[in-house]
Amino acid sequence: MSSTLSRLLLGLAIGLAVGLIYGWVVQPVQYIDTAPDTLRLDYRSDYVLMVSEAYTREHDLDLAQRRLASLGPQPPVAMVESAILYGVDHEFARTDLETLNRLVTDLRVVVPQADSSGGS
Amino acid sequence: MTARPWLPMLFGILLGLTAGLFYAWRISPLRYTDTAPESLRADFRADYLALVASAFASSGDLPRAQARLSAVPDPNLPASLAALAQQRLGAGFPESEAQALAALAGALGEGPGAASTGSPVASASPPPPTRAPTRRPPPTATRGPTATPGAPFRLAEQAPICEPDLPAPMIQVEIVDASGRGVAGVPITVVWDSGQDRFYTGLKPELGLGYADFVMAVDTLYTVQVAGTQAVVTELQSQACSASDGVSYAGSWRLLFAQPAGP
Repeated sequence: MSSTLSRLLLGLAIGLAVGLIYGWVVQPVQYIDTAPDTLRLDYRSDYVLMVSEAYTREHDLDLAQRRLASLGPQPPVAMVESAILYGVDHEFARTDLETLNRLVTDLRVVVPQADSSGGS
Repeated sequence: MTARPWLPMLFGILLGLTAGLFYAWRISPLRYTDTAPESLRADFRADYLALVASAFASSGDLPRAQARLSAVPDPNLPASLAALAQQRLGAGFPESEAQALAALAGALGEGPGAASTGSPVASASPPPPTRAPTRRPPPTATRGPTATPGAPFRLAEQAPICEPDLPAPMIQVEIVDASGRGVAGVPITVVWDSGQDRFYTGLKPELGLGYADFVMAVDTLYTVQVAGTQAVVTELQSQACSASDGVSYAGSWRLLFAQPAGP
């Protein structure tokens, strides 16, 4: 009886291991329809930079905020600040940092007003 | 009977396999938090392409745009961008986006690195243009494929076209720069007695980067203007043409606008 149980448990362990290896390594879940909020940090920072570059020409803060919103629920200012920090760490060109800074400066003018409206 | 002792193990393997797959696929699947743009859903991918184009319209940095586009492999990127421009124009997105997409499609169509933009080999690499050693020109230096920024377009040719193969009478516009190259992304306004429309060059790159067309209605007078310039053509109307078998059909117009050669 114990021999049967031990064989069952051994088989269970082998099957579980094979299943996990197959599911995680050999044939993992394929993500083919991802959203921008899952982008790797470098792509994400570049996405923010693109928004900033476009803003330089369009001067449309609403459009820039909508574009940033696709990167997740964080405040737009925080997103651009993160991109600036990433840019500093990774030695972005000065013009790129200036472009990012221009957007975050304009965003700060708008966003604090919304935040402070409910304050005492 | 001799195989019977292994039945529990076989059963265990099957049970464990099922449990393992269930756990790996349903309960705790691999979480992709560091994805690349190539895995984006179609609508987000379109947003990404539009954003690349808008950034390019601002910076005029084609190598950077190409590096960004390499993250979303596409065997025929110029055509895809042109099609996307038309889609977004029709869907009510900002006109500046459509214009930027058309300009980028045009620039890719004639740029030296156009063939490499769809290469999937760079899809897993981080976008290099964000690094320091970029040799970007100042944002005001170039704007896409326009060779002579600021120079006005002038009507260089206006000619009736009798082509029975055309599905409908058209105003065919071609815009070239001072060196004779087609210029994509130029907005053209067409006005008639009951309405107006705007279209862009470069949305049909297979017909030329500076090409655009507009379907005319018969018996309607049109005014065509290259937006933002004094290049205007008035009282355009479809003319009657005769086919070789004597059948009459509505003809088209061809308008060529060109930048004058520099001093």
